[in-house]
Amino acid sequence: MKHEQMDASSIASAVTSGEVSAVEVVSASLRRIRSLEPRLNALITVIEEYALERAAHVDGQVSSGCDPGPLAGVPVVVKDNMCTRGVRTTCGSRILDDWEPPYDAAVVELFERAGAVIVGKSNMDEFAMGSSTEHSCFGPASNPRDISRVPGGSSGGSAASVAAGYVPIALGSDTGGSIRQPAAFCGVHGLKPTYGMVSRWGLVAFASSLDQIGPFGRSVGDIALAMDVISPQDFRDSTCSRRERPSFRDGASNPAVKGMRIGIVREFLDGPLDPSLKRSIEEAASVLVSSGCTMVEVSLNESASFGLPCYYIIAPAEASSNLARFDGVRYGFREEAPDLVSQFTRTRSYGFGEEVKRRILTGTFVLSSGYYDAYYLTALKARKMICQEFDRAFRSVDVILMPAVPSLPFRKGELLDDPISMYMSDVFTLPVNLAGLPGMTVFTGLEPSGLPTSVQLVAPRWQDRRLVECASVIEERFGCPPIAEGGAL
Amino acid sequence: MTPSFETVIGLEVHVQLATATKLFCSCPTDYIGSEPNTLVCPVCLGLPGTLPSLNGRSVELGVKTALALGCSISRTSRFHRKNYFYPDLPKAFQISQYDLPVATGGSMPVFVGGEKKFIGITRLHLEEDAGKLVHGTADGRLSGRSFSNVDYNRAGIPLAEIVSEPDMRSPEEAREYVLTLRRLVRYLGVSDGDMESGSLRVDANISQKCSDGRWGGRVEIKNVNSVRAMERALDFEITRQRGIMLSGGTVVQETRHWDDSAGVTRSSRGKEEAHDYRYFPEPDLPPLIVNDALVRAMGESLPELPWVKRERFETEWGLSPEDAAVLSERLDLAEFLESTVASGAGRDIAANWIKTEILRILNETGLDAGDLPFTPRVLGELLGEVVKGSLSNTAARDVLEVMYRKGLGIQDAMKETGVVPGGVTGDLLAKAVRRVLDANREETGLVLSGADPSGKKRKYLQGLVMREIRGQAPVGDVSAVIDEALRQMRGLDE
Repeated sequence: MKHEQMDASSIASAVTSGEVSAVEVVSASLRRIRSLEPRLNALITVIEEYALERAAHVDGQVSSGCDPGPLAGVPVVVKDNMCTRGVRTTCGSRILDDWEPPYDAAVVELFERAGAVIVGKSNMDEFAMGSSTEHSCFGPASNPRDISRVPGGSSGGSAASVAAGYVPIALGSDTGGSIRQPAAFCGVHGLKPTYGMVSRWGLVAFASSLDQIGPFGRSVGDIALAMDVISPQDFRDSTCSRRERPSFRDGASNPAVKGMRIGIVREFLDGPLDPSLKRSIEEAASVLVSSGCTMVEVSLNESASFGLPCYYIIAPAEASSNLARFDGVRYGFREEAPDLVSQFTRTRSYGFGEEVKRRILTGTFVLSSGYYDAYYLTALKARKMICQEFDRAFRSVDVILMPAVPSLPFRKGELLDDPISMYMSDVFTLPVNLAGLPGMTVFTGLEPSGLPTSVQLVAPRWQDRRLVECASVIEERFGCPPIAEGGAL
Repeated sequence: MTPSFETVIGLEVHVQLATATKLFCSCPTDYIGSEPNTLVCPVCLGLPGTLPSLNGRSVELGVKTALALGCSISRTSRFHRKNYFYPDLPKAFQISQYDLPVATGGSMPVFVGGEKKFIGITRLHLEEDAGKLVHGTADGRLSGRSFSNVDYNRAGIPLAEIVSEPDMRSPEEAREYVLTLRRLVRYLGVSDGDMESGSLRVDANISQKCSDGRWGGRVEIKNVNSVRAMERALDFEITRQRGIMLSGGTVVQETRHWDDSAGVTRSSRGKEEAHDYRYFPEPDLPPLIVNDALVRAMGESLPELPWVKRERFETEWGLSPEDAAVLSERLDLAEFLESTVASGAGRDIAANWIKTEILRILNETGLDAGDLPFTPRVLGELLGEVVKGSLSNTAARDVLEVMYRKGLGIQDAMKETGVVPGGVTGDLLAKAVRRVLDANREETGLVLSGADPSGKKRKYLQGLVMREIRGQAPVGDVSAVIDEALRQMRGLDE
């Protein structure tokens, strides 16, 4: 089997047993990246030299009898909004295009400690704002299933890296769907954990109360493996919970779904939804039923109605504050000017892209005195209602089954001039962030066109394990996502 | 009829809390004298991806201060972001508290003109300090600035902001309020309260109420760097605001900066025009929970408060208001006094000695009373000797001096000083008198010949004797021995 087709746990055991060297695996990954990157542009930075050093280090551990960890020699990609010491971390933005953090994000530390080798920093919508990875100052990424289409976003580069077989596991961040939507578009699995499950230390913030890091993978087992590695508590992130974490791998290998009540959301199936995606829901439901689950209809009327507007007030509000620090004084891009205010203005005007500026302006507006109550405060109330609505729903069901996206991946450029339609592609994912719930996109197959279909599973807070349990059952029926050729002829 | 005015003053005082590390990271706080930008880390520099972790000690110190001010402690409070752009603010927002501060509703007594007056405390909240801009030009001059440097060592130092009610009616009351608050934070050990170095900073709000019913706009004065500067700035504003109102004008609500060298306040509207801080809850920090155990522990850690001590020294001990004030100014001094008295010394003599001798030593050396080489008990013993009459005040002072300079005990210090326990009497005293008279033949001769009708020369000689014996004998005894000596000399002459 070619290395790029192996899943992470097979690579790790092969490396640990000495069957294959980490250097070989990582070299194969880098070769695959070199051959496909010109078409995919999934990575902003490819880390060659350091990756091979790390791989050699892992091989050294193996030969000296040390256990390099559960991700021994596994090549991985992390989104370019996660700090990597000494390796530029751009957030897809001109304003940070040469910024090298002096420290590693918590997830980067955890990955490296587990033996993983970071081979690249993935392309993304600037500061994770977008749903297509077209809003990157490093150019758009392509969907490896059809390079004329977008990979989704904002973690489009990570999703594409996994779909194209660069790496078995990649990390993304999800503020309103930025893991689950590109996972759906690229045809891979992607999990957004409960808010507070994974440390945000070193994740460049977009909207702090919504951001959460999670993995992409081509098997539920790899998703679970990655979650076990990245979910320990971290005192550096005060919002990172102190409760005990579940074993995701155990959940993936011993799915106890029998007797689970699965919620079907009528509002989401009756609205605009691609027929193939509606069919995926039905098929996934029947798979779960045949595994002993029961289907229950639940209503998420408020989430359906208020989710989008609520999100597009809260997220920009927090973003306007989080991104205020990019003033050119201490690091990053600076446009010199004769006085302070024009230096601020010019730096930010030239340093940020259009979508980011749109959201900063929106966020600044909704927090301004005189508008705060009408917008921000109202949005907080709506957010609370959405939380309560999910809580109510979870009194009668254990997991909710719903679409991840309303449509199959759109073509590049198709929605660039239509931000509202672009925002709509997150309509099923962002209520989950507003409520802090765990959600997972599960691959359900490829259409004859080659475009992928998927479903989304949502669980109560801290019941993330149920997601991988249900996903395992679904994967058994639909198979693991195949590697995309990425436009290779 | 000319209208009369009432001045209304409220103060916002920022106190740097004496924690070892910053409010949201583990950088050290001892920034005075350190090289710029050496006490910084990714968190207090606000680098992308960093997150704040609240320093629990700063909460303790805030709660302790709030309890001393009689505030109620919010069991749940929260942090907000105050957003504005300035190069000294690394994240372009300050983490502060807004609608739910950690403490609200207290009061603090101040003494003005012998009267006690309670000033209401609106709230106490925690927030982080900003960095410091150092303006300069290529040739180092301050004017015609061509560039500015930023030092982030101070960024993230914990502050308690204490907001008073608009209860003060004069600059003098404002001064007493600041001095009382400074004394309090020093008592509590929560801050060094040093205004010059910026550990304690004051913004003053002042407005005028006219007897004709008009109110002037509230003016916030910034950049007052000493108590004196604050008083001058307030005096200036009173004159300015009343002048405007008397001529029929309107005092605009605004922020004004005190220019200490020019002695005027200047409008800073241009600089801060229409600030909208866009406060919203800090999403990176969970609500701040202060539990009963913490409140109890901080309550138990409170010393007797300075104003309570002061009143007790006056009413219970019978000290004069001035002495009570001086002796309650510093906790270390007050405690030294109380321990001295507890070891058996009389209150008056102990108070006298401590407010003069001990305070002088402390001022000269910059020591804390607790660091003196002798204990209150030893001072008590020394004072006991004075009371018994075996040591004169002067002798005891000399002994004390040696005790602290050389770190000696009483006995050794007495030997070192040549002080005789029990005083100079009998033969010793007679010899001393003889020595003085012999050495001052001229004066002695005048006294003997009766050419000293006013007794001045004789007094002079007596003073010399007292000095010779270091005051180690009662004046009456000395006088008698001099008389005796003079009588003998006359006898010899005849």
